[in-house]
Amino acid sequence: MKRKTPVYVAAMLVLVLALVITGCSGNNSGGTTTNNNSSTTTPSNSEGGSDEKPLEKVTFTYFNGAGAAKDINTNETTIGKILEDQTGVNFKIENLVGDLNTKIGTMTASRKYPDVLIPDAAIDEVLGAEGFIDLTDLIEEHGPNIKKAFGNDLERLKTEDGKLYYLPMSAQVGEFIPDPNIGQGAFWVQRRVLKEAGYPEIKTIDQYFQLVRDYVKNHPEEDLTGFIALTHDWRFFATTNPPMHLAGYPNDGEVIVDMNTHEAKVYAANEDTKRYLKLLNELNAEGLFDKSSFIDNYDQYLAKLTSGKVVGFFDYGWQIGNAQNVLTDAAKADPSQDDFVYFPLPVTFDGQKDQYLDPPSFVKNRGIGITISAKDPVRIVQYFDNLLKEENQILRGWGIEGETFEIDENGRYYRTAEQIAKIDESFRESFGFKYYDWNWPIYATSSTLSNGNAAAPGVQPEVFQMSLTEADKTILNAYGAQTYAEMFANPDERPWFPAWGIPKEQGSPEQLYETKKTEITRKYFPKLVLEDPSKFESNWEEYLSEFNKLDTAGYEAFVTAEVKKLVEEAK
Amino acid sequence: MEKVEVAETVHYPKKSPNKFLQFLKQCGKQHALLVMTIPFLIWLFIFKYLPIWGWTIAFQNYRPSKSFAEQEWVGFQHFAFLFEDERFLRVLRNTLAMSGINLVLGFVTAIALALLLNEVRVVVFKRVVQTISYLPHFISWVVAAGIVQQTLSPDGIINELLLRFGLIKEDILFLGIGEYFWGIFGAAHVWKDVGWNTIVYLAAMTMIDPAQYEAAEIDGAGRIQRMWHITLPGIKSVIVVLLIMNIGYLLESGFEPQYLLGNGMNVDYSENIDIFVLKYGIAQGNFSLSIAAGMFKTVVSFILLFAANNIAKRLGEARLY
Repeated sequence: MKRKTPVYVAAMLVLVLALVITGCSGNNSGGTTTNNNSSTTTPSNSEGGSDEKPLEKVTFTYFNGAGAAKDINTNETTIGKILEDQTGVNFKIENLVGDLNTKIGTMTASRKYPDVLIPDAAIDEVLGAEGFIDLTDLIEEHGPNIKKAFGNDLERLKTEDGKLYYLPMSAQVGEFIPDPNIGQGAFWVQRRVLKEAGYPEIKTIDQYFQLVRDYVKNHPEEDLTGFIALTHDWRFFATTNPPMHLAGYPNDGEVIVDMNTHEAKVYAANEDTKRYLKLLNELNAEGLFDKSSFIDNYDQYLAKLTSGKVVGFFDYGWQIGNAQNVLTDAAKADPSQDDFVYFPLPVTFDGQKDQYLDPPSFVKNRGIGITISAKDPVRIVQYFDNLLKEENQILRGWGIEGETFEIDENGRYYRTAEQIAKIDESFRESFGFKYYDWNWPIYATSSTLSNGNAAAPGVQPEVFQMSLTEADKTILNAYGAQTYAEMFANPDERPWFPAWGIPKEQGSPEQLYETKKTEITRKYFPKLVLEDPSKFESNWEEYLSEFNKLDTAGYEAFVTAEVKKLVEEAK
Repeated sequence: MEKVEVAETVHYPKKSPNKFLQFLKQCGKQHALLVMTIPFLIWLFIFKYLPIWGWTIAFQNYRPSKSFAEQEWVGFQHFAFLFEDERFLRVLRNTLAMSGINLVLGFVTAIALALLLNEVRVVVFKRVVQTISYLPHFISWVVAAGIVQQTLSPDGIINELLLRFGLIKEDILFLGIGEYFWGIFGAAHVWKDVGWNTIVYLAAMTMIDPAQYEAAEIDGAGRIQRMWHITLPGIKSVIVVLLIMNIGYLLESGFEPQYLLGNGMNVDYSENIDIFVLKYGIAQGNFSLSIAAGMFKTVVSFILLFAANNIAKRLGEARLY
């Protein structure tokens, strides 16, 4: 035995050494393979489209910090497959699971990124870590369609030293067509409530809450919840934003911007917020407010909306899409279910002009970028460029003629009833509409194609009218509207909109202010709403004294200065 | 190994050169064993000692894109930010309180359950109890927190029961009351881990010589007396070692349960150091602050570990080293 030990020992040593060596050299070998990759693919790039030789197929990684869909390879979808045939590029999409900042933080700390990254709200962090490459030259060389689609927007996105690190998600091309649906904020109410009340005009918040109150009181046997709020994680703004909308302003984030002086004011502790919270507090005292609102997570919230037990709530259309789609699908299958579909109402404090609809906007601090880890940026830019060709925008928006849309004798695009019925959530996934309707450099929903059709079927009047069910038409007729958007006032022009899109530097006082502000509101809002009405005033005083410790004036000065800059730019 | 060493040094006079020679000689004798430890030493060095270099980040305004030489050095600024912030003291309190609750409850319940299980003579029953009590340990906290939330929600089973028995008049929003959080946290932990924690004690109990029990029985000791005088002293050393090790982790009160069960209403009681670091360090891209907090935790844990070990030494108990 004893004599044999050295052999084992030697064997083990060799093994360990082998492990250590391979472990340490892992990076190097990885580096060389990527070099090989790019060197083999570059020749085909320089030849561009002139050569008919099929391009070598490549797969790039793509991380979406704003996504909530299944992870997928783009070439598994019909649209993605066609685009792969054109460009040879496939993207492996990974969507965020868990906390965005943790995920992005890990990327910046390790300096290992996916090829293409949508950091969503954490974009400042990626920029601070210099995770994106400059796109200026690449677009100059390989992006004629990108330049055409975005035009001056690219200049506005450039940093002070003239670099462009990311592309915005949507380019306004052609005429502006407003979205007939409500993707933005609104006070929503179940349709049966309006039906029972005889479709009254609801303009003020008091009328709205009275409507909810009456309905719950008239149906005690149903165990209904009057009003709920979304408070989970970063979506907490759905609970802090309503005072801004109720006062007649669009979603500028933390601030209300005066139309004349362009002064930005934080409203989290002003009279509007107090008034709104007081209303919620009264609602809660009557047992109409769902206490669990402050505990539930986003999934629980959506589950409650689909349960049909919740009469009303405030939220943004894009946040409740999943719940509303389930309800409308059910209503299509069984018209009696239409009662549970939510209807948006333009409610303000005293019936003043509402500004729920987004004015034409330019979001500066969101976008899609190519990272320093990208194996072959040229191919990616070419893919983006190819995607922005009009024929591919038709493909991504409308699909394939004869399959997902038709063209009439006047050249107008439309969808037949069967096609509309066919395109449900699972079809959108398999065809790829779901993966290409945002999160790429594409035409904005409000864009028009060169032949006058809308770029997005959803805003094409023919399609919208076609997509309405009988019940939809009934309720819209009752309010004398053709579209849901017509219920709302037209947006005034605000060149700075949205003020929340003003970039703030990583770790800056403004960013810290927002974190602290959210923390204080998160702590006091539940107290203000859930505790006995007699304690409301004293709780509000406590909240104010806590809130006044923050440097609100400094924050407002920062936003005001940025807003004024944007107003100047737009002139 | 230790015993051999002691036995052999007895034969030689205590002179240092001799001792050194002796050491070399022993190394020669045990070379196979020593070589076998090398991979683990390498592992230890790479994963536990090399990262300590990263502590330098705490003294910089760290930016991932810059190289080490380009970083801006700020001294103790991040530590100052930590200790001047009243919230940090609050999260420190919460961390210690929750770890303390965890430690005490964890030990008491696990030892009690192990003692009881040890007395159970019906093997089938014992197995069933063990399996049931282990199960929650294998559920991830995400699911476990969901279960806790459902149970405690206004229409959950706890509220239902309390209402039915007339103990309360209206629903209680358990997770909305900060003062309850530590209790909920402790109870959730016990539910999740009590079975798992008994394993080591049950194992220790099997090491006790059955002759002792027989002797005690002949001397007329009852069940309780046997548990008290034989079983407990028999596993005392295991308890002490585990206690010392756990004290070293006193500043690690966990992350998932607080993060998942925490909300705006109980934040004063649920937020611990880890969540604070996530919010103000990582989420703000302020890696330096995260490292500073991490360093603080390490240093305190180190002191606690030494202190606990020292006390155990004085008490003449088993200890780590």
